[in-house]
Amino acid sequence: MTNSSTKDREIVLERTFDAPRDVVFDAFTNPKHVDHWWGPNGYSTTTSKMDVRDGGEWIYLMKHAQFGEFKNRIRYHRVTRPARLQYLHDSGVDNDPAAFEVEITFEEERGKTKVTMRSLFPSVAEVERVKGFGAVRGGEQTLARLSEYLKK
Amino acid sequence: MPQLDATFSALADPTRRAILARLAQGEATVLELAAPFAMSLPAVSKHLKALERAGLIIKGRDAQRRPCRLNAEPLRKVADFAEQYRRHWEESFDRLDDYLKVMPTGKSTARKRSRK
Repeated sequence: MTNSSTKDREIVLERTFDAPRDVVFDAFTNPKHVDHWWGPNGYSTTTSKMDVRDGGEWIYLMKHAQFGEFKNRIRYHRVTRPARLQYLHDSGVDNDPAAFEVEITFEEERGKTKVTMRSLFPSVAEVERVKGFGAVRGGEQTLARLSEYLKK
Repeated sequence: MPQLDATFSALADPTRRAILARLAQGEATVLELAAPFAMSLPAVSKHLKALERAGLIIKGRDAQRRPCRLNAEPLRKVADFAEQYRRHWEESFDRLDDYLKVMPTGKSTARKRSRK
């Protein structure tokens, strides 16, 4: 799903875990495991349904003591066990404008597993580009001034 | 995040990004903004309206000139969003790192690992 036209709408994260690929893949796809770690600090994840296969769904609730509850739905387009997951992440409603596509790859290297997560934002994330748009026109100062604005 | 979405779609157009880049250097009138583009004034005005709707520019009150000014607040929200998303996953991955150390791996994998 990566090509020159989508690169500027992606956020890419990489991490190498000290465990074999089938174990790491299991941590992402087994309802017994995923609730133990999924989500940032301060959030709990509660899975109500997880069906990891092409066309399957994962429904879960994220809770934070202060920020409240967030319904999440992941719809798997393509599951290639234990190498790749491709899915659409939304808030459980159809045609969610905030929905985004994700591709996660799992590569094993000498007993460790490199996980690469690409999130592609729709109308949209021009995210990274925002930081660089000063280059479009108007010269070098623009970017510096813009980043000053952004820091304020 | 409808505000964020409006910002994103306003930024999706190269002319609008160029207009914002120009405004990052200081306020400008519609005529000044239109000068570098090979397009009609109404076409430029249309882009300005889209930017105004997204809250990215503010039109001045001076009735004669009505200069446009950049409003960086929505841009900061976009940058914050990207930052937050990264942080979210860095934290999740930290938690996964810890969990993998105690994760019950069941039959085959546990044995495979201890044999190594």
